[in-house]
Amino acid sequence: MKIALTLNGEQASADVEGDSQVLDVLREQFGLTGTKEGCGVGVCGACSVLVDGNPVSSCLYLAGMADGAEVWTVEGLAAKDPDLIEAFVECEGMQCGICTPGQVVAAAALRRHNPDPTEEEIRTWMSGNLCRCTGYGTIVEAVKRYVGRD
Amino acid sequence: MTATRGAARLDARDKATGATRYVADLSLPGQLHVAVVRSPLPHAEIEAVDVSSALAAPGVVGVFTADDIGAPLFGRRVRDAPVLAVGKVRYVGEPVAAVVADTRRHAERAATLVDVAYRELPVVASAAEATAPEAPMVHDAPWDYPGAVVGPGDGPNLQSVVRRGDEDLTAEALRSAPVVVDALYTTPAGHQGYLEPQGCVARVGSDGLVEVWINNKSPYRLVGQLAASLGLEPDRIVVHPVPIGGDFGGKGSPMAAPLCVALSRLTGRPCRLVLRYSEDLTSTNPRHPTTMRVRLGADRDGHLLALRFDSLADGGAYAAFKPIASVNLHGVLEAGSPYRIPHRYIESRIAYTTTVPKGHARAPGAPQATFAVESAMDELAGRLGIDPVELRRRNVLGDGDPNPDGVVWIEARGREVLDAAVAALTPRPVPLGWQHGWGISLYDRATAPGQTSLRLLDDPDGGGVVAEVPIPETGTGNHTVVREGLARLLGLGRDRVRVVHVPTSDLPGDAGVGGSRVTASLSEAVERAAAAWAARTGSEPVVVSLGEAGGAERVTSFSAQIAQVAVDPETGQVRVLEIVSAVDVADIVNPAAHRMQIDGGAAMGFGFALLEDLKIEGGQVGAGNLGDFRMPTAHDLPALTTVLVTGGRGVGALNVKQIGELTNVPTAAAIANAVAAATGARIRSIPLTAEAVLSAMGAPE
Repeated sequence: MKIALTLNGEQASADVEGDSQVLDVLREQFGLTGTKEGCGVGVCGACSVLVDGNPVSSCLYLAGMADGAEVWTVEGLAAKDPDLIEAFVECEGMQCGICTPGQVVAAAALRRHNPDPTEEEIRTWMSGNLCRCTGYGTIVEAVKRYVGRD
Repeated sequence: MTATRGAARLDARDKATGATRYVADLSLPGQLHVAVVRSPLPHAEIEAVDVSSALAAPGVVGVFTADDIGAPLFGRRVRDAPVLAVGKVRYVGEPVAAVVADTRRHAERAATLVDVAYRELPVVASAAEATAPEAPMVHDAPWDYPGAVVGPGDGPNLQSVVRRGDEDLTAEALRSAPVVVDALYTTPAGHQGYLEPQGCVARVGSDGLVEVWINNKSPYRLVGQLAASLGLEPDRIVVHPVPIGGDFGGKGSPMAAPLCVALSRLTGRPCRLVLRYSEDLTSTNPRHPTTMRVRLGADRDGHLLALRFDSLADGGAYAAFKPIASVNLHGVLEAGSPYRIPHRYIESRIAYTTTVPKGHARAPGAPQATFAVESAMDELAGRLGIDPVELRRRNVLGDGDPNPDGVVWIEARGREVLDAAVAALTPRPVPLGWQHGWGISLYDRATAPGQTSLRLLDDPDGGGVVAEVPIPETGTGNHTVVREGLARLLGLGRDRVRVVHVPTSDLPGDAGVGGSRVTASLSEAVERAAAAWAARTGSEPVVVSLGEAGGAERVTSFSAQIAQVAVDPETGQVRVLEIVSAVDVADIVNPAAHRMQIDGGAAMGFGFALLEDLKIEGGQVGAGNLGDFRMPTAHDLPALTTVLVTGGRGVGALNVKQIGELTNVPTAAAIANAVAAATGARIRSIPLTAEAVLSAMGAPE
């Protein structure tokens, strides 16, 4: 089937199969490899993208459901919002980096939903994004810096 | 490379924007996709493989079995793992056939159409079963494999057995010791938990040149392993540089490389296999589940007299994933290392079973052994009526003391580290009705540089230098260490030092990421390169190469952790309120990266203690996805408090000590000791689930 969507602020379309996931379409058809495949079952958050402003696991989001939606990936958010990237760079909120695009997308979504979160709220919001390397301290600091509490 | 502002880490921006390209993000012209048909049974003979339906499926280029690729065996030391199963399968998830197709989707769909007929064989589900008399043999003659370290006389189903120390003297010391703790401790199989699945792309050119892109942290070792497995000349194999999305010990094995090379040879096109995460959890190389008997004797003043440590680990179906010469786990062979112990005897056996092969995981063997010994130390303290911290203070190595292996460290700061941990402890609020306690645990680990190399040349893009390095960035920040070291020693700005990871064909060699040696190795290489650079007269590049045995200084680092817990007596739920990590450090190259090794280690120790278990039963991994294999989230973790005990003597011009495998090790015992302090219940098996705690609280000793 053919889908039309707004991808990172621009009109886009794709031919997809009924069981294609947004993750595969982004990576394989649009070459947007910033969105990573981790667990494949919607647990780890490495594949997070924004669909109509909400963070979703693109590994479990059927491409057909994205027809007519507004989708933002890490590439688009990075281009649109340099502060988001600066916060992660300055706080060194990453090590191996495989979860980082997902963390960045989750942080962007948090600011939309809660512009003044407590640390507890940040940790709860970010708990959909696993990181095995950092112990989360520098990621939480990056999110704090981005949403303006630091 | 993008310059960073404000931060020291050179890969930060590309990682944050998604620009960093990992192996799964690569696409070679003409590449084909591989899907693996895996065994659904733990132990069976393969009677027939019918590939006809799969061959007829859309997009399929070929379906291959061991009949097509021959019977090459691969491994890091012992070459006992078939590339595709030959006649038999020995674990659930073992590769039996490979489907090659134009897309991943087509390959995966066709893989479901391969029909394999099996005849079931007896399951050897655990190390205990494997080593029982009359146990079915997992391999007919394991001693015949290249690199095998066992013989027919060692007993059934053994991958390795190591005996260390004097058994008779230790037995005698235990017999005459006034107080002896004798207890059994167990730890489960656990996945390393890197979030990037194992993957590989291989291309065999018409000239026979083999090129490999893979998330393997020991690329120069991989060249040798592929050459040995596939009968190739090492200089006809090139492993290309790829950043690695997490390692923790799990990314050092050949994994998909031999298969992808074999398939590329057969198809004449690049072949790519990236595992799905469920495949990674069930069929790669997780941490060894281990059963350990500790016999620890002391005099009435609490001075340790003897330790006997018997470990039996489940090595799974193949020994291929263990890299050290003994094919054992050095963390087990170093049990009790922080202390003066006059007599210590260790026997460490690793058994073949019909389960997923086991491999290295962050500080291999040490989290298991330290859980056992440090739990036993608290049990001993209880028997003696001595405070657990005081018992450790009385026995921890001081300057000039030999450790149980006879090593005398250049300095031994264990007492300072213990005291620093205790000084940092402040009671935290406890929910009403919950029971509160804290526990301590101690570990030490050496820092020793290893083999590496480095090339320094003028940057053709002007001004600065280019440092070519042989070692992948696994996330620890090792490339940043090179930049930082060269910037300091050459007096250059960071932006004038460019670090480039180059193919294996370009540099003399490297031992790979591991053994907590990378910062030490690279800083030594940087020091020598900077000296040679300063002394050069022309504009020729400088190449330095470090051999196997690096610096001679004998440096160790102590790490003491205190866990503070609250336990709900109604449910057995354990809430960790805080983990204090006191660590023994020298100079720190990049404070943020150093801190993340400490915090990330404590988080991993927390998961090991409380959550993570692959639940291997009847030969099958039960926790086959990341919903069932639970790792800590930002919300799960307690406060992580770090105390840096500074001023230590490290190695090399940068005066560094290892940090990567220090804080994940003592955590489980600290938490188990805290639970015992809070409830009186001693739990000798992890993870410490609420069910286990409640059951132990109902049956206090």
